[in-house]
Amino acid sequence: MNSLLKFFSSLKLTVVLLTLSLALIFFGTLDQVEYGIWETQKRYFESFFVIWSYPEQAAGSSFLNWIKIPMPGGYLLGGFLLLNLFAAHTTRFKLTWKKSGIFAIHLGLILLLISELLTDIMSKESQMSVNEGQRKNYSETALENELVLINRSNPNFDTVHSISEKRLESGKVIDIPDSNLSFRTIKYFPNARIARSTKTTTLKDNLANRGVVEKIPIQVIERPIDYAIDAINTATAYIEIFKRSSNNQETDDSLGIWLVSNVIDERFPNQIVVSGAEKFELAMRFKRTYYPFDVELVDFTHEKYPGTDIPYNFSSAVILHDSRMNTKQQALIYMNHPLRYAGLTFYQASFANEDTTSIFQVVKNPGWLLPYISVLLMGLGMIFQFGMHFFKFSKKKKV
Amino acid sequence: MRELKFQSIQLIIPIVLKFQKQFLSLSSGVFIFMLIITLGCNEPVVETYTIAKEASNEKLIPELQSQKMQTLPGMEAYTESAPSLQYETPLGWNELTPTSIRKANFSIKNNLGEAEISVTVFPGDVGGLLANINRWRSQIGLQRVAASNLNTLIEALEISQNPGYFTKINGNKESILGGILPLNDATWFIKMQGSILCVDAETKNFKSFLSSLKIKDEHN
Repeated sequence: MNSLLKFFSSLKLTVVLLTLSLALIFFGTLDQVEYGIWETQKRYFESFFVIWSYPEQAAGSSFLNWIKIPMPGGYLLGGFLLLNLFAAHTTRFKLTWKKSGIFAIHLGLILLLISELLTDIMSKESQMSVNEGQRKNYSETALENELVLINRSNPNFDTVHSISEKRLESGKVIDIPDSNLSFRTIKYFPNARIARSTKTTTLKDNLANRGVVEKIPIQVIERPIDYAIDAINTATAYIEIFKRSSNNQETDDSLGIWLVSNVIDERFPNQIVVSGAEKFELAMRFKRTYYPFDVELVDFTHEKYPGTDIPYNFSSAVILHDSRMNTKQQALIYMNHPLRYAGLTFYQASFANEDTTSIFQVVKNPGWLLPYISVLLMGLGMIFQFGMHFFKFSKKKKV
Repeated sequence: MRELKFQSIQLIIPIVLKFQKQFLSLSSGVFIFMLIITLGCNEPVVETYTIAKEASNEKLIPELQSQKMQTLPGMEAYTESAPSLQYETPLGWNELTPTSIRKANFSIKNNLGEAEISVTVFPGDVGGLLANINRWRSQIGLQRVAASNLNTLIEALEISQNPGYFTKINGNKESILGGILPLNDATWFIKMQGSILCVDAETKNFKSFLSSLKIKDEHN
């Protein structure tokens, strides 16, 4: 136990960990060229291990592509740094009046590491685009897709069953709750090109036989995932739906295979799955997050510097309708003045449609206050520590 | 005053020191707990929730179309879902296979020059009449026109039993003949572009093509 503590508290470990962090950031930055910021963040910093391989586009890749460097990921390094800091404190550090500044700096650092982990795990970002005069109660993110089955039979509310696209990759049979239906993915494309097959060319590799394909011959052509920062990937899948048999002896009854894609959206007729008295709308869409309140966009203003097209201010006048508390709340969202409501922050992010649509970045980050506290702690610690030395020094000089 | 502050800190320090071991084990406990959360985060496969009744998709179509126009891929797919066409091909027009975007596609090649005819459809109003006339003007190297001059450039014309517009834009090298038809929250564009002489000679054929056009729309 003692040797373990000694290992974890050693300063050598700190140096090794910091060097490895340096390498991680270096290789992560290299890979950002190929994979873009989101994917790199996931692979390098929100992981325990990562393997860097020689990039295909780089010079001499044909004979250097065997180079692969495994290295610890951000979670592992951060975790070890945290343990290292704690262990060092217990074994070496004795808290005294003189060293309380250093203590505050370290505490701030620990808090910063923890808050970063919390943000990784708990924070969520999405976009809400609202037209003037429209009310919205959900935001969506183009970085993730979901397969949804919506039951609209209840006159008071709609029930949504959502399955993340990640779950579709395996092709396992998944039961839909509160129904006698289940489904499995026949084929899943993280990105694809969807086009009508013209009459002169035959429809190749079509697996679907129900829904939109009954009216329109749609061709799906697989495409590599586009990692560019503003790229939208056309997630597409062939989904087979079954009616579960009442006893285990019989095999499940297939209702058919549907083609779903996030470009087969509201512009197309709804794809409906009917089984007995049950009726579901089936769709692949950008992952949505619903809220118990509505955001109404009253007016979007886009001011420019006179005589130019250079914007100097965007602002959105909104009304928040919260039916739970029966309240209406007005707010003006503009640059550096987000709206904070129910643990969410709405930032003015973009606009569209000749200034009639406003797009908000909706951020949920329960740990947003922690970095402020930690920076404050570190700042105060430094002022205290350096201040003390300074006063000591100036006193000596006087004498 | 300074003495008092110092005393209070002196009081706290031994307490912190005494509980340092506990503090360490507690914090590592929290850390390990968070590790477990990250590793074993077992979200349910199907997430089920209820939402307030939503308006049916059909009613939302025009609004969503214009909103998503610039941002979403899948324009081709929209064209494919558009209703089918009937028309009479004028003499001298060579019918080509429709492409992914073009619902109908023709070419003309004679001793006066060459021209191309295309029929396309897009959701929404695609920026409006003025924006599209100006788009065509810029394609043949002409200046944009102001909204006040729009009326002198277009004439009303019935296309497929619905009110549409006809325009002729004379350029310096090429000319454009255009038919524009807003129909059921979508806009149809029928366009001929080619050498000035050829387009001039085909104006009558183009108009008769427009009048022969029947757009079969299931909405009707």
